Parts: sequence; C-alpha cells; structure tokens
Amino acid sequence: MSEPSTTMTVPHAPDPTAPILEVVDIYKLYGGVHALDGLSMSVQTGEVHCVLGPNGAGKSTFFKMLMGTERPTSGRVVYKGEDVTRYPAYRRARLGLSVKFQNLRVFPELTVYQNLFVPLRRKHAPAQIPARVGAMLAQVRLPGSEDRPVQQLSHGQQQWLAIAMSLASDPELLLLDEPTAGLSQDESEQTAAIINEVNASGVTVIVIEHDMAFIRSLKARTSVLHYGRLFAQGSFDEIAANEDVRRIYLGTA
Amino acid sequence: MSQPNPLVAGISRRLNGPQTLGNSAFFWCAWLLGLALLVALPLLVSRYQVINASNILISCILAMSLCLIWGYGGILSLGQASFYCIGGYAFGVVGINLIDAQGNTDLALLAGIAIPVVFATVLGGMMFYSRLKGVYIAILMLVVSLLLGLFMRQTADPSYTIGSAFLGGMNGLRPATSADPSIPNMILGFGDYVIAFDGRRSEFYWLVLGLTTAIYLGLRWLVNSSFGYVLIACREDLDRTETFGYDVRLVQLAVFCLSAAIAGFSGALYTAWGTYIHPDGFGVAPNILVVIWVAVGGRRDLTSVIVSTMLLSWISLELTSSGEISLLALGVILVLAMLLAPEGIIATAGAWIGRTVRRRGGMPARSRESVT
Ligand SMILES: Nc1ncnc2c1ncn2[C@@H]1O[C@H](COP(=O)(O)OP(=O)(O)OP(=O)(O)O)[C@@H](O)[C@H]1O
Ligand SMILES: [Mg+2]
Repeated sequence: MSEPSTTMTVPHAPDPTAPILEVVDIYKLYGGVHALDGLSMSVQTGEVHCVLGPNGAGKSTFFKMLMGTERPTSGRVVYKGEDVTRYPAYRRARLGLSVKFQNLRVFPELTVYQNLFVPLRRKHAPAQIPARVGAMLAQVRLPGSEDRPVQQLSHGQQQWLAIAMSLASDPELLLLDEPTAGLSQDESEQTAAIINEVNASGVTVIVIEHDMAFIRSLKARTSVLHYGRLFAQGSFDEIAANEDVRRIYLGTA
Repeated sequence: MSQPNPLVAGISRRLNGPQTLGNSAFFWCAWLLGLALLVALPLLVSRYQVINASNILISCILAMSLCLIWGYGGILSLGQASFYCIGGYAFGVVGINLIDAQGNTDLALLAGIAIPVVFATVLGGMMFYSRLKGVYIAILMLVVSLLLGLFMRQTADPSYTIGSAFLGGMNGLRPATSADPSIPNMILGFGDYVIAFDGRRSEFYWLVLGLTTAIYLGLRWLVNSSFGYVLIACREDLDRTETFGYDVRLVQLAVFCLSAAIAGFSGALYTAWGTYIHPDGFGVAPNILVVIWVAVGGRRDLTSVIVSTMLLSWISLELTSSGEISLLALGVILVLAMLLAPEGIIATAGAWIGRTVRRRGGMPARSRESVT
C-alpha cells in the first residue's frame, strides 16, 4: 500500500478510490502510557473495516482521536483529504463522522424517542422527527419502542439504540466500538446484518471487535492493533491464519 | 383531558413537557390558585409583609437563574449572586446619573441586564472555550465574586465616582454630592407617560409578581423546547452531545448569558426595591444561599425551586432577628434535604403528589407529541 503524500490531499477531491480516512503517525500519551505509539493506517471509502487487538491495545483511543473528543499528542488525522486533527468533535460530526462509544452513553432516564430526538434535531425540523424515529427504530430492530424508557431495554436493545443514535446524523463514516459486547449469539448476528445494511446504503464503517465469528460474518478488511501500533493488516482469512496475531491474543507476546 | 380549544392546546404543548414537573390540568389549577392567592396578598397581610414579599419574589427570579444553568444546563456556579450584584450596581449607577435628565429608569433597568451579560460573555467565553468543567467553574465563579466584593469594599475613596454616582465602599452606592439624586425607584415609561413603582408599595409587589410569572412561564417554554433538550443532553453527557454535531461551548455560553441576564434583572429590581446596594452581596453567604434555595427545592424543576425559595426566604426572615442562626438553620435544612431527598424536597413531594393524583384520576401519561 502506497503512502499518499500530504501535499496531494486536496480538499473535496472527487476520487472515489481515495481513502476516506488516514491517520499518520499518531501518538497519544496518558502520563507515561503510550496508548497510541505511532499508529498509521488508512480506510477506503465504502468498506467495512474491522479493528481488533488485545485489551489496552489502544483501539478506543484510536476512535477518540478520529472523532476528536480527545486530541493526539502528535500526528495527523486526515478525513476525505482534509486535515481535521485540530477540529473539535462537533465540526467532525458536521463533516460526516459519527461514533458509538464502547460504553453506550445513551440517556438512561429518557425514553427511546427522546434519546433520538437530540441527535435528529440538528438536521431535521420537529415535524419530520417522529417519522424519522420510526424508520430508524425499524432499521435497528426496535420497531414501535418509541415510548419505552431506556432503562427497561435489554443490554442488546440499548446497543442498537446507541447505533441508531450514531446513525441519526446521516454519517458518511461510522465508528462502532464493540457493538456486540454483551450480546447473545442471535443478537450479534442481527447486529452484523444491521452493519451490512448500513454499509450497503453507502456508509463506510469501522468496527472494533473481539468476536471472531462476528468479524468473519462481516467479510471485512481487518487491522490488528498491538501496543498502540498497527501490528498486521489484511483480509479476515489472512489475519485468522496469522500466527503472530494468535500469539498476541493468547497473551504470550 | 384533551382540550378542544386549539389555542389552549398550543400553549399547553409549549409549556408542558418532560423537563418540568407539573404538567397536568390538576397542576395548573393548583398553580392558578396559588397565583390568585399571591395577587390578593396585599389585601390579606400587613404593608410590612408586602414589602418583604416583594423581596422574596426578587429572590425567586435569582433562584430561577441558577436553576436554569445548574439544574437544566448542569453548570454549577457558586457565584450567581455576583451577577445579581452587578445588575444591582449597574441599575443604581445609571439610575443616579440619568433619573433627572430622563425622568425614568428604563435605561438603568436595561443596564442592569446588559452589563451582567457582557460580564458573563467574557467570563463564560473564557471558561467554556477553554473547556473548563464542573467544580472548576463553580470555584472560579465564587472567586470572581469574592474578588469583585473585595474591590467594591475598597471604593470608599471619593475618587471612585462614576458621574453623579459614588461607589461608596462598605457603605454602598450613593450620590456623589448632596446635589445629586439618590438611587431612584423603578420608574418605567417614556416622557410624561411614566409609572413609578415605589418599593414599599403594593404596585411594586404586583409588578415583581408579574415579572416573576412571566420569567417562570418563559423558562418553562424554553426548557421544554428543542433547545431545552439539547441543554439537558449537555448536562447528561457533554462530549456525547458534541459528537452529535452541536457546538456545546456555544450552547453553554448562551445559557450562561441568559442566566446572567435574569440574575442581573433581579439585582436591578432589588436595588430599586430598597434603593440601596452594597458589596456584601458578593460574599460567600449570598452565593451559597442561592445554591441552598435551588438544591433544597429540586434543581431540576423550576416550580420546585420557586416554592422552596419562597419558603426558605420566609424562614430566613423569621430568623433574622436571631442573627447568624438563620444561615445555620438553612444549612441544616440543606443537609437534611440532601440525605432524605437528594433530588430536592419539593420536587420529590411534587412527584409523589403527581403520582397519587394520576392514580386516583386515571389521567393519561404525556404523549411524545409534546416535544416540539
Ligand atoms: N484517559 C486515560 N487516562 C490514562 N490512561 C488511559 C486513558 N485512556 C486509555 N488509557 C490507557 O491507554 C491504553 C489504551 O486504552 P484503550 O481504551 O484505547 O484500549 P482498548 O484497545 O480500547 O482496550 P479494550 O479492548 O479493553 O477496550 C490502556 O493502557 C489504557 O489504560
Ligand atoms: Mg476499548
């Protein structure tokens, strides 16, 4: 894979084969901890891209750098040819980035409808929102649950609601941090179907996952993070066959 | 319970919603009864008590300003009284300078709102755009208030005059010379068409009651609007709300300035009420007092905050003759409230009454259509 030079990254370049996202030599230090230690990778427009790696590898930190809720110590984040490293999160959201965090961060005291109201309201007039909510809930397998308090939803249903909230802004690049954590086998399969449907509608998706069966069902290109760096990259089958990847997952590295 | 009248339905949709306790017909009947009682108060109690009641209503406006940023916006300020005092001083200084020339205090009242807002814009701009949060904002605001108080205390030197107004240090704001006018009452209107509201009379009480009611209804409308939802989302999870594409710094700054405007307005009313203002208002006790009113009632509900401010201010008044006991008593009430009803005594009681009434009367739950 060739490393695109920075001077060639013209904003709004119409090239469909250009990467939607590139991170270049990202470092993130928390005190003495190198959460990210020179990470460079890119994601192609339109793909589903899986990120895996042992606990503490820096996967969630990587998402925070992408979304802009935290700034890297050094390095660059380039989205659709635009250097967004210094953009606050709300500007990145307006450019088409959206995230579901590892901890769900739904509003537990509100109803499902009210949870979706805030993310939808930025782009939609109040009169359109009920219909939009109905459509989004159908998409994430929660039809008709508008008036249910979020506290009454199962964990899996809350995952889906959190996905719906991150879809509410019609993103172009969707970041999902462990969307199957705590889900049953059946729910995980449903979640994979949701991701494939979202991707089919033209959204690029990056998914952080541990569940190998789930990643296999996504047929995604896969990157492995280890100690804050890109450790391996390839198709799922290549990664699954990689001895080194198995070794770090078994913790003998 | 649905009303066929579209006007009533429209108003009801805007004033009611999940961000306020008390949205039922039962609540609004009780509310109207309470308002009627307050309107009739000057006919029922002594003139001295009407004067005190005016001051209590002014406190209610101040309490609502903190309820807005703390209860709804999630920004605790321990310096809310500073905006009140700035508004009070601004009204006094402009009032002394312009009353003879203009014959009204319209501009003074405007200054009482505008100057706290300018102050809040600068301060809030620095705090929110540097992403300051939580306890840091609370403490910073208290420090700012104490510093302002410290400055105002040492303005006893005659050089601290602004036109005809002398800041006066510990003794408070006064005219610069005996030829200058003293701090005026509230006089509203233009040219010959002015109405004077003497702080010791019932007209002033009714004016403040009207303003308190208007601000209460306006804030109910605001917190139940789309903006209110974004505000609550900021309170619950600021970073998450930002990732939805909202510039949360701007949301926080806007609500901070609105809160300062309301607090400054109440301060201007206070100065007009007693025709005096002095630096003690910048101290720790007044700042904490506002927090106690709001916390004891229930910071997340405007109505609860008003009720508790009325009750607690009345208790304070009854105890003033006993000196320091008054603040001590409120402190004890605060501790008890935090232990027994952390969401506020009035809010907890109100929620209980609401549940009981709904069970008895079989009223329908709110529908989501109430979100606008
Ligand atoms: N706010 C923080 N302060 C200090 N250290 C942090 C912070 N956030 C992350 N870290 C550290 O950075 C490293 C990477 O954390 P990160 O959450 O990105 O890992 P992860 O790959 O998402 O792990 P997991 O699979 O457990 O979710 C860890 O060692 C973690 O302890
Ligand atoms: Mg993680």
